[in-house]
Amino acid sequence: MVGQLVTRFVQILALILVLNAAAVSAKEPVPEPLRAGLVEYALAVGDLPGAMARVPGLTGDAAEFLRGRVLYESGRVDEGVEVLERVVEGDHFRGAASLLLAEAARERHDASEARHWLRLAARHGHGEDRQKALYGLAELERAAGHVDKAGEILAGMSEGYWAAVGYMNLATDYAREDLNPTRALVALRVALAMAKADGHEDRKRQLRDRLLVRAGELAYRNEEYEKAIRFLEQVSLDSFSTPQALYFHGLALAKRGNHRAAMQSWHRARKFPLAYPGVSDAWIGMGRGYDLAGYLGQSGEAYLAANAAYESERVNLRELSDRIRRNGAYKTLVVDARDRDVEWFLADSRTLTQPRLAYLLDFMTAPDAQRAVQRVAMLAAMEERLSQRQADIRTLRDAASRLAGSKGRDSSQKDEDVQQQQELLEQRLAALDALAQTTSQKSKLAQIKKQLLLVKGRVRVGHSPGDVSGLAPEKAKTQLAELRTANDRHLQAARALRKRAEQALDELALAYVAEQDERFAHAIDKTEQQIAHLYEYLALENLEEDRL
Amino acid sequence: MFGLFGLEIQKRCRMFTNRVILRGTLALMLAPGTGAVASTLDADIDALAAQVNKHVANVEALEQALLYPVSTRLTVFLTLEAKDALDLDSVELFLNDRPVASHLYSPREREALDAGGVQQLYLGNLPSGSHELKVVITARSANDSFVRREARHTLEKTAGALGVQMNLGARAPDFEPRVSFVEWK
Repeated sequence: MVGQLVTRFVQILALILVLNAAAVSAKEPVPEPLRAGLVEYALAVGDLPGAMARVPGLTGDAAEFLRGRVLYESGRVDEGVEVLERVVEGDHFRGAASLLLAEAARERHDASEARHWLRLAARHGHGEDRQKALYGLAELERAAGHVDKAGEILAGMSEGYWAAVGYMNLATDYAREDLNPTRALVALRVALAMAKADGHEDRKRQLRDRLLVRAGELAYRNEEYEKAIRFLEQVSLDSFSTPQALYFHGLALAKRGNHRAAMQSWHRARKFPLAYPGVSDAWIGMGRGYDLAGYLGQSGEAYLAANAAYESERVNLRELSDRIRRNGAYKTLVVDARDRDVEWFLADSRTLTQPRLAYLLDFMTAPDAQRAVQRVAMLAAMEERLSQRQADIRTLRDAASRLAGSKGRDSSQKDEDVQQQQELLEQRLAALDALAQTTSQKSKLAQIKKQLLLVKGRVRVGHSPGDVSGLAPEKAKTQLAELRTANDRHLQAARALRKRAEQALDELALAYVAEQDERFAHAIDKTEQQIAHLYEYLALENLEEDRL
Repeated sequence: MFGLFGLEIQKRCRMFTNRVILRGTLALMLAPGTGAVASTLDADIDALAAQVNKHVANVEALEQALLYPVSTRLTVFLTLEAKDALDLDSVELFLNDRPVASHLYSPREREALDAGGVQQLYLGNLPSGSHELKVVITARSANDSFVRREARHTLEKTAGALGVQMNLGARAPDFEPRVSFVEWK
């Protein structure tokens, strides 16, 4: 008798479980201890909507700072600054908040306010934040012409990337001001020592190469050729600085009378696209090398080859210019340069051997160009994201419609029934528990009790089982319609802004291409002068021979 | 003849100086107009970015609410136990031996995890009952050896959102990667 009752009870329980599968209490989907970490990760990888979605309700020491940072980085700069100013007055994240405030002040070109925030960041910040703040202060002093003051600040920094860049900039100032390059060379040596502590391997290598080329150039100008060669031979062979290093290496070797080795260096530099600094000079260097070695015929040929290379490059530049006018600079220089054809993996160094990428790299060394490309890239990403959301909203609208259709009209009635059945089953379980005699019966009833308890927490009074997401489908449909309208509006605005940003980038890129064209026009003048000089010399030699 | 090298350098220097002067002059000439245009453009972009970010967050929240009901929702998070213990290369996630997520880490993402960031690796639906979560990681450990390790975790899914935090670590001296699982209900 008890066994039958238990079986029946189990069947009813199964039914109740099915009916209540969806009727659950709404729970916070993100565990609170992980929330701040999720915001930090989203910010670090540039997922601003993801960060924004998790910021409300954030608690803990980092909450206010993260809120301010999300506001600032998501474009709500004024609100972000307001929150960050409050953070600076608090106990936590004062340094990091001050650094962001300094960045905001720099954006507004307010140097004195930037200095104020940087000082606070240097005082309260730790690790990289503090180093960035000190570097920023040193740069402000440099910009104001106070080179010694900048040196004092740099002397107080820990070794690493920021100190190394600071000393590199200081060396540039010294090289400009001093007739003797000693101070600049000392600053570069300090920068090289500081760069060793940088943990980012790629960044460290790039910076080291740049420092070595500058040191090599300075030593060469100071007629310390052995020293110059030692610096330049340490430059890696696959960096942006390589061609320039090879060119100076050749010059230093030529000064020591080793023309053959000099020509080998220039020959290697010639393998790089002409866009890189030092390459066009290396082409002329080859002619000079042959000349100095006494091979006048080859010298003439090398000059003619250089001339032809420059002419050809000017044609390329005209083509580049036409493409920029036709397709825009962003597509021509950035998007197309990223295209990977099937042969890309066969190239030794894809980045360094493609002329268009070479021009892009050179163009991007200017801060204005970086900013202009960043603007267009950001708007392009925004446009793509909004287009994707358009499709998502359509899919969600269909899902919401299906959900609305599948909902029973008597869902609230079902809810009440389920609630009543739950109570009834609990009463019967209590009764059966009292009657149970065997261990098997008691065990089965214990199992049922456990299941009932599990279900109990999931029953919600007055909540429709169709509302699985806690969001009524009709309400969702309305929200989706609103979101769709907003999405279309934002998409239009993004397209219009992208057009403006692309126009600004095109102007910069065309000015850059014109400048490059002018550079090659000058180079052609130089080779033509050398050729004329050579022919003049040969003509005089012939005359001399005829006279004899 | 030898002196021509010096002349060459002087010419190059003069050319370089001209370039700098040209660039500077160009910048000065363009500065008032271009600067104003750029600053207006930046302000407009900021304003639009703020609206769009908020809008996308709203769409994603609604999408999550509709597609991943709280009753069946399973979220898997990834964290690193200690900075620099592991150089994470990739993670593959399997639910009941079915691949559900995989991720190849960029340097930027690795840095974000190193700095204490939490990655939401997977968001999906799972019925109530017993399930097995398997994770396969490939990484370079602090002693510079490449490793590929599997870890399994059995979870009991009941109604209500379930979060599983996978905490990845490797400790000296062997730097053997270990994954610990924490369930958040």
